[in-house]
Amino acid sequence: MQTNRLLPLFKQALLTFTVSLILFGPISGLVLEGFSFRNELTRAVVLAAIVTAGRVAISLVQMTSLGQALTRRMADSGVGVTVMTGTEKSPVLILALLFVAGLSLPFFADKYFLGIAILALIYCLLGLGLNIVVGLAGLLDLGFVAFYAVGAYLLALGSQYLGLGFWGALIIAPLLAGLFGMVLAFPVLKMHGDYLAIVTLGFGEIIRLVLNNWLDFTGGPNGAPVPAPTVFGLEFTRTAKQGGVSIHDYLGIPYSADYKFWFIYLVLFLVVCLVIYAVERLRVMPLGRMWEALREDEIACRSLGVNHVFTKLTAFMLGASTGGLAGVFFAVHQGFVNPTSFTFFESALILAIVVLGGLGSTVGVIAAALVLTILPELLRDFAEYRVLIFGVLMVVMMIWKPRGLVRIKRPAFFPSTTTDAGPLPLTAKAEVA
Amino acid sequence: MDVYILLQQLFNGITLGTIYGLIAVGYTMVYGVIRMINFAHGDVYMVSAYIAAITLAVLTFFGIQSAPFALISVLVITCAVTAVYGWAIERVAYRPLRGSTKLAPLISAIGISLMLQSYVQISQGARDQGVPTLISGAFRFGDGVHFAQITYMQTVILFASLIAMGILTYVINYTRIGRECRATQQNIRMSAVLGVNTDRIISTVFVIGAATAAVGGVLVTFNYGSFNFFIGFVMGIKAFTAAVLGGIGSLPGAVLGGILLGLTEALFAGYVSTDYKDVFAFALLITLLFFRPYGLLGRPEIQKV
Amino acid sequence: MTSISKLFAATAIASALLLAPAFAAETIKIGVAGPYTGANATFGEQVFNGVSAYVNDVNASGGINGKQIELVKGDDACEPKQAVAVANRFVDQDKVQAVIGHFCSSSTIPASEIYNDAGILEMTPSSTNPAVTDRGFDNLFRGCGRDDQQAVVAGGFILDTLKRDKIALIHDKDTYGQGLVDAVKKTIEARGITPVLYEGLTRGERDFNALVTKIKSTGANAVYFGGLIPEGGPLIRQLKEQGVDVVFVSGDSFAQAELVAAAGGGANLKDVYYSATPDPLADPATKNVQDALTKANVTPANYVLYGYANAQAVVAALKAGEDLKAQADWLRTNTVDSAIGKITWDEKGDIKDFKFVFYTFDDKGTPALVN
Repeated sequence: MQTNRLLPLFKQALLTFTVSLILFGPISGLVLEGFSFRNELTRAVVLAAIVTAGRVAISLVQMTSLGQALTRRMADSGVGVTVMTGTEKSPVLILALLFVAGLSLPFFADKYFLGIAILALIYCLLGLGLNIVVGLAGLLDLGFVAFYAVGAYLLALGSQYLGLGFWGALIIAPLLAGLFGMVLAFPVLKMHGDYLAIVTLGFGEIIRLVLNNWLDFTGGPNGAPVPAPTVFGLEFTRTAKQGGVSIHDYLGIPYSADYKFWFIYLVLFLVVCLVIYAVERLRVMPLGRMWEALREDEIACRSLGVNHVFTKLTAFMLGASTGGLAGVFFAVHQGFVNPTSFTFFESALILAIVVLGGLGSTVGVIAAALVLTILPELLRDFAEYRVLIFGVLMVVMMIWKPRGLVRIKRPAFFPSTTTDAGPLPLTAKAEVA
Repeated sequence: MDVYILLQQLFNGITLGTIYGLIAVGYTMVYGVIRMINFAHGDVYMVSAYIAAITLAVLTFFGIQSAPFALISVLVITCAVTAVYGWAIERVAYRPLRGSTKLAPLISAIGISLMLQSYVQISQGARDQGVPTLISGAFRFGDGVHFAQITYMQTVILFASLIAMGILTYVINYTRIGRECRATQQNIRMSAVLGVNTDRIISTVFVIGAATAAVGGVLVTFNYGSFNFFIGFVMGIKAFTAAVLGGIGSLPGAVLGGILLGLTEALFAGYVSTDYKDVFAFALLITLLFFRPYGLLGRPEIQKV
Repeated sequence: MTSISKLFAATAIASALLLAPAFAAETIKIGVAGPYTGANATFGEQVFNGVSAYVNDVNASGGINGKQIELVKGDDACEPKQAVAVANRFVDQDKVQAVIGHFCSSSTIPASEIYNDAGILEMTPSSTNPAVTDRGFDNLFRGCGRDDQQAVVAGGFILDTLKRDKIALIHDKDTYGQGLVDAVKKTIEARGITPVLYEGLTRGERDFNALVTKIKSTGANAVYFGGLIPEGGPLIRQLKEQGVDVVFVSGDSFAQAELVAAAGGGANLKDVYYSATPDPLADPATKNVQDALTKANVTPANYVLYGYANAQAVVAALKAGEDLKAQADWLRTNTVDSAIGKITWDEKGDIKDFKFVFYTFDDKGTPALVN
């Protein structure tokens, strides 16, 4: 290879090595022990060498033609969205197959896998909910976990004080969470971008802190128990506790803890499918299009007569309702809720799902929810390196796909093949508003 | 007696607020230039606390005992090393995402935050670390029983913050690099057209932000004496709140917001309830933003059609 | 319905047949669950170190009935969500035969439902919340004291030994800290004394000056703190710095060497007391424990000892029989001579007459027994 290429490479390697030595030197090299320290400098040098080697390797790959092609592909961020023509065939067969595969999962999976699947589906729901707010309506919400907490605590406290059951909570939670969404939405209507972010963050923290501090009502940090779900009055516990009959006694089959998981999984799976369907329908309805229009240009929308209050409010409320639903499932799956499950980090994780999935893309959100819930479990074998690797992968995924795993496709407003365009979308909006 | 308690709470609030302000500067500067909330900033502060303690341990190992000298050298070394962290983070995690969606760097920042916490935990262990008391003693006002006091270390905090803010204000207002920063803040594309190396300016902003966080980190470490790999989280949220309270993007706003937040917390905790002080702080923030949607000193962004 | 149940049964049998050979264990697996990442990671590590120190010894001397013990780590980060995932993994994938854990009560409670369903012996080395055993699970044992046991001792200590009556109660709004402080509150209120202050601080903060000034303004002469060292250390330091003249009493979470550094040196630890199990290192009868720990290169800290003791109990129970009933019955009827003293369990699974003693510090920060 030519020297004129090697010299910059060497300079780069030297710079990387120096910088990483400064970075790793103190933290990895000198370990604090009381008020003194232990010398581990070789560790720092080895780390710096590894990083430098990695950097040089990347540079070398970039010099080859294959690497250059890759770089070009990476650089091509492809701004904008694809608009569907409206003539695409809906992939009914694939969807049906996926649906059947999802439904039959409990028959193949063990409880551990099913537990992760339930968690992944819960995060799907959360992602779908936040996607309405952030992805479609473009309102940055950092306190989404509040609605999740509302749903979870509704079931826990509702059963404790009002005798509310799983099914009741499933119906009330979206309404209550939607109400909370409305309460939050009113003060933030005037705000933009990052001011919105901090207000929602504050709202999420307030909810968590109140749940944690209001000891008499919520149980504070000790949390609250959640009863097992029932179906037609049949319970999923070894011995019936809520005055009914255990399902295994009723059916005359031996008791297994798996039934409860199967049941939760199946109901959750159906709810997720329903929500996906609803969101997809909403996106082609005037309301959904108003959300997306508002995300792109608020001023233009308002001058065209879009009622921005109504639009933002519905986005917040529908998003919150979905979060509330997810909360009910979380509570019933855990059998116990306490405020540690609803920290700011959860909000950040849900936001990561939406952004990583590709803002606004339903398929992307589902894919990202699966990735971000299953990944930490797969990383369990790395023990304490788990979080480190998770963080690295998050950065790498973001750099690799800055616009998300799945590119957003905007549904066609009207079939482009028809010559008669029909009523323009904007006139349709005025009716709703 | 009550006067002294009130005075003491005011001192408490102002010292805490100054530190919030120092950390908030990093948020506000980064936000001003690239409109991004740097969620890893709290963890940069955490790293600086470790570097400060390690530097002090090394100095003690070489037999340096003089407190002022130790304090100043720790401050300088920590600022320098932390600044490299700021630079490296920007280079690795944010620069590749420039020109992408606004939220992409946010998620990347969360990833960096996890990485830093985990890296420090693995390298240094999860246990709590501490530094010995470097300067002890206090100015006391009042008689022997009822008094308010401000410790020497708190005085150092106030002065060091003042000096740091002074240097920063000078750099931003009167130097070439400061002018370029401000120009970039106004309009990044225009500045680039006019020959400002915007990439370098953004790096500089991260370096300055990390260095001020390091000043905060050193002062906090010496004042409270203990830290672990998790301290960045709470401080990050608090400082971010302070930055928004003052008007994100405004330097004096960050300091004002920090002091206001510190005072609110101290007074509410002192006279009402410690349990609900954070609830009150966030509620105050929401109320304030309701009436002043751009914070105390923030300028409304002109919306271009 | 029957066809479905047949299908269920068939799948269950099929999966059992498929999985059985893969998991046909020549080793006995014990799951050790706790926080290995996150804010409480230090404690999880300590428990694991204690457990592995004992298990290495057992393995070296032939294991349990000839079978080697294999430890499986399960990181729950003290989050209920992850605790359930860990529990399911232990039961279904790792097929553990006993669990030592979880660490935080808020993780132990949801996870224990799963172990209870699966019929696996569980012993928690640190979840002191009464709700853990009050649910009446037959498989769940507590290898440490209960908040209410410790609180009775602590309340009596402040009132009778230290003779202080104006008590400020501070907790960290977490399961352990608040549970402990609430129990102390009950104890002293039963004696007719109302605390002068009852407040919670925020975990993760470092500046408690406002709270300290408030404590000072109430004229308290004793502070009882329920919480952990990251907050307790700075609180002690700031109390001293503001010149508040109080005795400071806390629970067994303070039995950690880091306290000295966190509180800013041994000088600040004057008039600081904590309740803990009698230090086994001072007891010549535990020479073998110390040797084992030194051999494993582990500094004996509080939760290391709890981990060690829990491992002793669990291994002894596993030696007693293959099924849960035999193991649980053995624990309920026998005494374990453990690293934290001789322990026996009652019907609920709590340690009978768990002994707490008080420690204070000399000026170098070395703990010393209070007589």
